[in-house]
Amino acid sequence: MKWKDLIKDRWPAYLFHVMALVLVMVFMRAFRISVEMIAIVGVILFLALVSAELWEFLRRKAYYDKLTNCLNELDKKYFISEMIDPPSFYDGQMLYETLRAANKSMLENIGEYRRGSKEFREYIELWVHEVKLPVASLQLMCLNDGSTKYVRQLRRIDEYIENVLYYARSGNAERDYIIKAVSLKRAFSDTALRFRTELQDSGVTIITRGLDVSVMTDSKWLEYIIGQLIGNSIKYFSSDRKPEITVYAEELPDKTLLHFRDNGIGIPESDLPYIFEKSFTGENGRTHTKSTGMGLYIVKKLCVKLGHAVSAGSVQGDHTEISIAFGNNDLHAVR
Amino acid sequence: MDRILIVEDDNVLREELSAFLKNSGYDTVCITDFDSISHQIQTSDADLILLDINLPGVNGQALLKELRKERDTPVIMLTSRTSELDEVLSMSYGADDYITKPYNPTILLLRISAVLKRCAQAASLHSYRNITVSAVKGRLICGSSEQILTKNEMIIFQFLLDRQGEIVTRDELMTALWDNDEFVNDNTLSVNVSRLRAKLSELGLPDAIETRKKQGYILK
Repeated sequence: MKWKDLIKDRWPAYLFHVMALVLVMVFMRAFRISVEMIAIVGVILFLALVSAELWEFLRRKAYYDKLTNCLNELDKKYFISEMIDPPSFYDGQMLYETLRAANKSMLENIGEYRRGSKEFREYIELWVHEVKLPVASLQLMCLNDGSTKYVRQLRRIDEYIENVLYYARSGNAERDYIIKAVSLKRAFSDTALRFRTELQDSGVTIITRGLDVSVMTDSKWLEYIIGQLIGNSIKYFSSDRKPEITVYAEELPDKTLLHFRDNGIGIPESDLPYIFEKSFTGENGRTHTKSTGMGLYIVKKLCVKLGHAVSAGSVQGDHTEISIAFGNNDLHAVR
Repeated sequence: MDRILIVEDDNVLREELSAFLKNSGYDTVCITDFDSISHQIQTSDADLILLDINLPGVNGQALLKELRKERDTPVIMLTSRTSELDEVLSMSYGADDYITKPYNPTILLLRISAVLKRCAQAASLHSYRNITVSAVKGRLICGSSEQILTKNEMIIFQFLLDRQGEIVTRDELMTALWDNDEFVNDNTLSVNVSRLRAKLSELGLPDAIETRKKQGYILK
């Protein structure tokens, strides 16, 4: 709170005061009161005005300075009404009450949405588990009847179901993952095994290097992430050379990097910065296969939740490489 | 023949699973009355139990905990939940493996045979006819002559040997190879099998592996 602003705010009031003072002085002079007397009255009234204003200013300043300070230091600004005491001046009290009432109503509102989204998520999880039963039954039926041609479509359905599940999980504030030491080799080969038919159909050569490393992560989530990357690679292989996926780990002092590289069609440089954004399909998504722009978005969100950094590099027409950085400290394990 | 007890409350899935396992050469028992599951599991006398986590009125993990007090029959947990927590819990209660639905059936078979093998500690399987199998050294030894197998050939031979006399599909062999981080393709598998055949015939067993058209291989 500054003097200058206060004066700017209250100048009409000061104008009235000064006008009143001048008028009083003019009248006093008309009643032939001595100039000394008028001067004394003028000084007294002026001093009264100044000290009244000063008093008002100082107690407001004390209060509002505390308020702004508090607000700046708060991480969640909406807690401000809980953090401050009611002011001693009347108009401030009114605003304070209003703020509290508004805050309370907002919290109720948010609570309602939070409950709603939690309920929705719980239902999605439940639904996913329910829908997996018939899919599992159908898969076995296909095998028992020897009609393997439906299996592929069932695998697709299963993949889409997984997407829903992980999307629901990625956006949620709850912590439903367990960070522990996970072998990159195990995680990758389990995922590759799941995608074996698709990988073999597209004739991919898989090369792994130095995956005998453990990283701190959630194995289910990591497998889902790797699955997404494999799925993407399969979608965007180039038709003029033999498809290849190279997966290798790189150990740095402070982190372990998992590189996932394919020799597919690559990503145009102009699209590269946006591939992790929601619903971004880019040139490849339009010209090659139907893309929803959700896969890498979910990957990114999961990585952020797990505390891993994910980045992409690509040369169009040559390769695409996605790298995931796992922190090496055991902080997560201790927790 | 190994007996597998299936504890799964979804009727269709249970029937199909049972049919599938029977086709793959296992004997199956199913629990259809879910009132006293614990007692039925205890008295089932199965070699392996496939246990669902979500069961009517009871949690599979609780059942497992109870079972473990009495017996150490191998248990594979089946679940449609895909959370790490369930897996960690199941393992800590003494499950031998854990598979999420919808499982790839060949992967399920692979896990079943791996768990059974681990529990049987089958030392007897380290020889075939007059050949001694040294998996660690990757050698087949027959009297004074021996053959060195590559990693892939060893995986294939071991797999065939474990299921000696039964038809093993190419799909199953492929799954076993991929499970061992050998991401081979169809051609490589054929090449590996024919090399294995050549090595076996060097040891005087030219027709040990028989090809069944459109079905797979069989080690006689």
